[in-house]
Amino acid sequence: MPLYPTYPLQTERLTLRPFTRGDVDGVFAYRQLEEVARFLFDHPLSREECALAVQQRITQTGLAEADDKIILAVELTGTGALIGEVSLIWRSVEARQGELGWIFHPQYQKQGFATEAANFMLDLAFGPGDMHRVCARCDVRNERSWRLMERLGMRREAHFREHAIFKGSWDEEFIYAILWQEWHQSRTQKLQSP
Amino acid sequence: MSSLSLPVETDRLVLRTFERSDIDDLCAYHSLPSMQRYVFSRTRDHADVAGALNIMRNHVSLQRPGDTLTLAMIRKGDKKLIGHISLQWSDATAGQGEVRFCINPSYSGQGFAKEAISAVFDLAFNHFRIHRIFARCDGRNHHSIKLMQQMGMRLEAHYREHALFQGEWDEELHFAILDREWQRSTKVRDLPPRHRVA
Repeated sequence: MPLYPTYPLQTERLTLRPFTRGDVDGVFAYRQLEEVARFLFDHPLSREECALAVQQRITQTGLAEADDKIILAVELTGTGALIGEVSLIWRSVEARQGELGWIFHPQYQKQGFATEAANFMLDLAFGPGDMHRVCARCDVRNERSWRLMERLGMRREAHFREHAIFKGSWDEEFIYAILWQEWHQSRTQKLQSP
Repeated sequence: MSSLSLPVETDRLVLRTFERSDIDDLCAYHSLPSMQRYVFSRTRDHADVAGALNIMRNHVSLQRPGDTLTLAMIRKGDKKLIGHISLQWSDATAGQGEVRFCINPSYSGQGFAKEAISAVFDLAFNHFRIHRIFARCDGRNHHSIKLMQQMGMRLEAHYREHALFQGEWDEELHFAILDREWQRSTKVRDLPPRHRVA
């Protein structure tokens, strides 16, 4: 169903909020990096391109119809540092399908921030968003990303080989997904375990 | 690329484009519930099948991405239409093609579909220079699943409840094979071992 969360959203250590015009430098800090762009469709972005990206994201805060996106800035609640972004795309209204995505600054990796933010987005999708299935995709070489998908309780549903050209060479891609009932079960177990 | 030479002959089949006169043989299997269960556009009566036939009669070659080539499987001898197979050129940059097939259940289990698919794989890889062929099927369609495994295709995706199909949650499998994985030439393979070199 249409989804308009009330911002900011708070997790244990993070604040998830819409982008604002002041975020350009914060976004540029990670989107300019080759290691971040490697598995994204974009090349490393210039500051101008980041300004444009931020401009687009400012209004991407709710889901009203198919292909709408929610893209949120992820901030450390303590310091206010912008550490990355998470996204939720409404792929199908009729079949209640969503797609989850994330990009994080390498400097803030390996501390569970992406897991925390992505889990929160999953709760948003399956809770108020009433979705039936949420998927995520990544390059096969992007191990950090698919490990995160596994931590989210997602199942590997596809392993495509050479099905497309990605940045001039053959693409190999994973698609992971989780169904509402699987998400619900994982949350119930979490409540029951001491 | 040399021009496409049709019909294609296999041991027991002739694969040719559809003709107006195929309507009765096509009706014999196209509207069967066992067939309708797994198709996207359903055909319930003679008029629907005639519409489908009109579309398939235009599938005569692959000129640009998105084009489909649909071939009728004609049994040699009695010239009976027993099924059809199509190849869609789904992506030009990455050389992708999709294969779909249907066979009249009265003629299934005799290797006809396998024979037709082999011929279409040869056509796709050798003539159209396709890099990867994929095929999709419903998770309950055991005959198709078995057939694609026999063709040496790899299971690349198993989607669960990713869409609604005919009013229910869909379960869909994707199989694929790359050009270098398709061992061409049954002729070469059929040579007795003593003729093989090294």
